[in-house]
Amino acid sequence: MSTDRPEGRPLVAGPGTPDESSGPPESWEAPRERWLSTVVRPAFGPRSVLLEVVTRLLVPAILLFSVFLLVSGHNRPGGGFAGGLVASMAYVLRYVAGGRHELLAGLPMRPNGLLAIGTLLGCVTAGLPLLVGRPVFDSVKWEFTLPLFGEVKLLSALFFETGVYLIVVGLVLSVVAALGARMEAEEEEARIEERERASLLRRRRAAARAAASAPPPAAGEEPS
Amino acid sequence: MNALLAVPLLVPLCGAAVTLLLRRTPRSQRITGTTTLSVVVVAAALLLWHTRDGTIATAQAGAWEAPLGITLVADPTSALLLLVSSVVLLIVLLYAIGQDIGGLSRATPQVFHPVYLVLTAGVNLSFLAGDLFNLFVGFEVMLTASYALITQAPTRARVRASMIYTTVSLTSSILFLTGIALVYALTGTVNLADVSDKLDAAPPALRMVLALLFLVVFGIKAAVVPMHFWLPDSYPVALTRISAIFAALLTKVAVYAVIRTQTLLFARDDTSAVLAVIAVVTMIVGILGALVQSDINRIMSFALVSHIGFMLFGLALGTVAGLAGAVVYLVHHIVVQATLFLVNGLIRQYVGHTSLTDIRGLTAVSPALAVFFFLPALSLAGLPPLSGFVAKVALFQAGVDAGGLLAWAGLAAGVLTSLLTLIAIFRVWTRAFWGTPRPDVLEAREQLRSGANRGGLRIMTATTGAMVAVGVAVALAAGPLTEVGFTAAEGLLDGRAYVTAVLGEGAR
Repeated sequence: MSTDRPEGRPLVAGPGTPDESSGPPESWEAPRERWLSTVVRPAFGPRSVLLEVVTRLLVPAILLFSVFLLVSGHNRPGGGFAGGLVASMAYVLRYVAGGRHELLAGLPMRPNGLLAIGTLLGCVTAGLPLLVGRPVFDSVKWEFTLPLFGEVKLLSALFFETGVYLIVVGLVLSVVAALGARMEAEEEEARIEERERASLLRRRRAAARAAASAPPPAAGEEPS
Repeated sequence: MNALLAVPLLVPLCGAAVTLLLRRTPRSQRITGTTTLSVVVVAAALLLWHTRDGTIATAQAGAWEAPLGITLVADPTSALLLLVSSVVLLIVLLYAIGQDIGGLSRATPQVFHPVYLVLTAGVNLSFLAGDLFNLFVGFEVMLTASYALITQAPTRARVRASMIYTTVSLTSSILFLTGIALVYALTGTVNLADVSDKLDAAPPALRMVLALLFLVVFGIKAAVVPMHFWLPDSYPVALTRISAIFAALLTKVAVYAVIRTQTLLFARDDTSAVLAVIAVVTMIVGILGALVQSDINRIMSFALVSHIGFMLFGLALGTVAGLAGAVVYLVHHIVVQATLFLVNGLIRQYVGHTSLTDIRGLTAVSPALAVFFFLPALSLAGLPPLSGFVAKVALFQAGVDAGGLLAWAGLAAGVLTSLLTLIAIFRVWTRAFWGTPRPDVLEAREQLRSGANRGGLRIMTATTGAMVAVGVAVALAAGPLTEVGFTAAEGLLDGRAYVTAVLGEGAR
């Protein structure tokens, strides 16, 4: 986290939580508009309007692209693994731009749940052919015509790929949650503790000065 | 056949997913885990029944023909090991469940159950893999799960040990991947049967290098001297349920991989001299390590290393009898190691630690515990009529039949190791089990037995007893087991049958 923030000012400035201190915004690039879904507290450094706007614009496009990779992957480059990696990059971008609250707000469910559902989907797709006497992992092809789309070829392997997709997203997100978000939360706790200790110290000094019937403080003793 | 081969892989993974979803309800997690492993045990038993006469069952995933797709293969060796390992996995899971019910463990069940089932899937895939890359995948699934398990209830010692464990395992995995790449460059395939077929044409020197490379890869994972240093350092500090399963299975999966690759891929290359020397050194160095340790868990870890040598000795002989001995020894060793580590867990429960310097009078603390330790320990040393005796007789008989300097050296080392194992065991027995127990230990026992965790302790004792019973059953079933061992060994040495079963009659 940046250490150049003035002490005692709220870390969050934005329309969601009006800046209580009457000073100017924390830096010239701190946006006043809300671009992401939560009150932004970026994972690294100060807020950046550029990053937030780009994230807002790119995340839907990245997710759509990941779905494209997923469905086109059978005979062309792509597939569940690549699609899952791309999709998880969208969430990582949100995390970098908006911090861990933004990451949690964007998730449909906990990473563990994604992992579990992905594994289940993959195993069931792999195992279903066994019930009709076909080899494990056997795939069925359906071809039909849809309005607007035209000829559509659907393979049952797509469900397996979807499982892989969910596993990859779940895995990357649990890594981000374990290595990034948790450390961030611990840092934040430490910072809050630090601030509380500082204010306690200030209060004690003030009390001590009041008890000493307020002699004029020596220069340099007053905390700036 | 298809279904039977896929069940041991798919069912544990499904179980892992379900236990992950049910992580808020420990009860349903336990039921899911037990059901899953029971299904695997049944499937493995059916698979062994199907392959008992030497039949090789294959399944081609996605109906892709053999060298192209993923092949699953079960021959008597893999089916037998699959059955034994899933029985051990089930019993250790029940032990862990008992411990959790009694609130006697610091493990996090929410993590333990899914990861344990993933480990099961990895072990099963390693046994059933029909190509090198899936063998690698099986190993990785198993090892990744083990990285998560070894740091359960993290303490400073556990995190330190897991760093060493992870580093060593990753090193070996990188070498494994390199080996696979070299094999692919040489033959253009990774299917075991196909590789076995095409390595004929490869230059003998290159084949030898590959054979030795794979020996190093699996040797690291099997904790063969001089690549054993990580094992006695990392296993003893893990939780009981985890070190039991590690000691029983992980090294043995690697031994299975050594046997599989050396017999199927590199049968023409004479690595038997290297194997015999390694086997002798492993036996002696391992057991000498066990003699100087003063912690029961560490003694058992060194004994584990030492007895890996016996299986390699069987492989080094290269005869049907030798391999049959190695297979029977694998079965015996899986069961005995799991039992001993579970007993150590019970000792830890009663006394709080397993250091010999401060334990005495365990026989008075718990007579059942003494019996549970005594039987598998004597079996480990190879005293009749226990399973260790059966396995060692099979091996020594094969050694005598084979003759030659290396065979006799192996025999001498084997006899010496058995004697030294006996000494190591009696050191534990006289110091920990004899004498009068300390009063505070007796008090703690009364508390344990009357407190709220009484039920859990009972389940733990009962499951340990079940494991001892499995060990005795192995000895009682010595006849049929040796028969299966011989069928398995014949299958291992008959590479043609394996190749034909996988690639079809059309293969060269």
